[in-house]
Amino acid sequence: MSQEGVVQKPASIPGYILAVVAESLYLINLLVLPGLAFLVLAWLYLKYENKYESLSPLAGCHLRQTFSASIWAGLLLILVVWVIFMAGGVNAPYTWVIVILYFTICHFTLVFLGIVGLVKALAGEKFHYPIIGPTS
Amino acid sequence: MPYLSQAVAKPYFIAAITLFLVQTVFGLIIGLQYVVGDFLFPTIPFNVARLVHTNLLIIWLLFGFMGAAYYMVPEEAEKELYSPKLAIILFWIFLITSILTILSYVLVPYATLADITNNHFFPTMGREFLEYPTIIKIILFVVMVGFVYNIGITILRGRKTVINLILLTGLTATTVLFMLAFYNPTNPILAKYFWSWIIHLWVECVWVFVMSAILAFVLVKITGIAREYIDKWLYVIVAFALVSGIIGTGHNYFWIGTPSYWQWWGSIFSIFEPFPFFIMTVLAFNMLNSRRQQCLNKAATIWALGTPLMAFLGAGVLGFLHALAPINYYTHGTQITAAHSHLSFYGAYVMIILTIISYAMPMLRGLMANSKTSQMVEIWSFWLMTVSMVFIALFLTAAGILQVYLQRATDTPLSFMVVQNQLALFYWLREIAGIIFLIGLVTYIVSFFVVGKEEKDITR
Repeated sequence: MSQEGVVQKPASIPGYILAVVAESLYLINLLVLPGLAFLVLAWLYLKYENKYESLSPLAGCHLRQTFSASIWAGLLLILVVWVIFMAGGVNAPYTWVIVILYFTICHFTLVFLGIVGLVKALAGEKFHYPIIGPTS
Repeated sequence: MPYLSQAVAKPYFIAAITLFLVQTVFGLIIGLQYVVGDFLFPTIPFNVARLVHTNLLIIWLLFGFMGAAYYMVPEEAEKELYSPKLAIILFWIFLITSILTILSYVLVPYATLADITNNHFFPTMGREFLEYPTIIKIILFVVMVGFVYNIGITILRGRKTVINLILLTGLTATTVLFMLAFYNPTNPILAKYFWSWIIHLWVECVWVFVMSAILAFVLVKITGIAREYIDKWLYVIVAFALVSGIIGTGHNYFWIGTPSYWQWWGSIFSIFEPFPFFIMTVLAFNMLNSRRQQCLNKAATIWALGTPLMAFLGAGVLGFLHALAPINYYTHGTQITAAHSHLSFYGAYVMIILTIISYAMPMLRGLMANSKTSQMVEIWSFWLMTVSMVFIALFLTAAGILQVYLQRATDTPLSFMVVQNQLALFYWLREIAGIIFLIGLVTYIVSFFVVGKEEKDITR
């Protein structure tokens, strides 16, 4: 049915590696090394903060998006959970029901967005995280 | 459809979907019995309905895997199937045996079934998912050996692709591990070990091989991307599945009387178990994003994208949620387990079979793809089934959390049955989601009978 072709390699686009690294760090922060991966991402973001134009629009976009999204992820996963616990009480069973369901859905959604971001970076394309990513 | 012998896949697919429908109906019966205890009692009591629900799952998934292999292997090997006749003979043996087994569960008390099948001579009955009488196990094993022989010879005589070899490895390992079903030690701890090495090594290790091979096959076909690209990813997926699956299965040994080191090994290696599904998700989205052609079969494309994502959520996220020993101490055997098993079986194995059926069935009917109308109906079925299954899992997770708290975590724990009453709201919600799932499945089946006016234009 199909003609098997050759995959296009967008690795020649300037800033490609940094874009992929930024998206990977966002995912690693959510999945494997929370906090530590964010520190590396923050270091990269601060290092290249004022060099986006000379660096590449692709890397700049992914660094900005992932840095912002990671901060939002931290707020959504830690702060909101803390607020729910404070409001509902640790000893109330329904607090746990809400917290665990909220955390699972929220975490999975953030990971899914990261997967889309990584796929876009691998394809050498820009990506804007809906709601949690900066618009500019 | 380049090879005529691929047609033997069709009856396997039809049988798989039919049995899936029956399994779903029995699932709804059990779901209702959770809240209306005497529903259909004594005709179909809870233990019998559950037996049918879980055993049918294994049976129809095997039908689906066999159908997938019979469709894929000739095309990958670039050779007609070694013996289409053997495939058809095995199909009828497997189907008749399966129907007789399910009927015997419903019509004969289990103890009587054990007696009349002479289980006492060679006792293998009574273990979850493997309740079939010994004689049925023997027939099933013969069917599996014949099937592996048939596709194995085809592959050996034809082109050996990574997809074919990984598929063959997974299906051969499935057959070899099934041999352990014939060993039923009297020591319950040993018996649990051997049981885990069948069911859990299937779902956490070797079936991941099968799933990744089927997904890779469909992705190569619908995206047109070179197979060399996907091959290297398949090796990574398989390596992760082996490393994490074999020792990660240790999370099933935590509380069965095994040495305590399993709590460390099982926990640590479980961390890596979501990785194969994560890689498959990235791979599927990446291939679709970089595709070299527009695929006519949009429905199959959606199934191929949804499969790894739902597997990652169900098997990966929900599995990891309670795979660590300190958490599992509280959660094992609760509705959290049921939530995980529903979404992981659906996401990983049900969806991959629906994916290959969605891709292959139009070809088997002489079409490049179903009509747009038919595909629209099928895409509706995708969303109905997938969203409702996510809700089933979420309602069961909510029930499980409440169950853990009221029954195990609180200072004043309640008894099992008292807690079950407290969970009724979630069971009702689960039942409603289950009815929507059934509607989705019926919609899926109906989609194959919908003929759009443009169908003749895309006929080969």
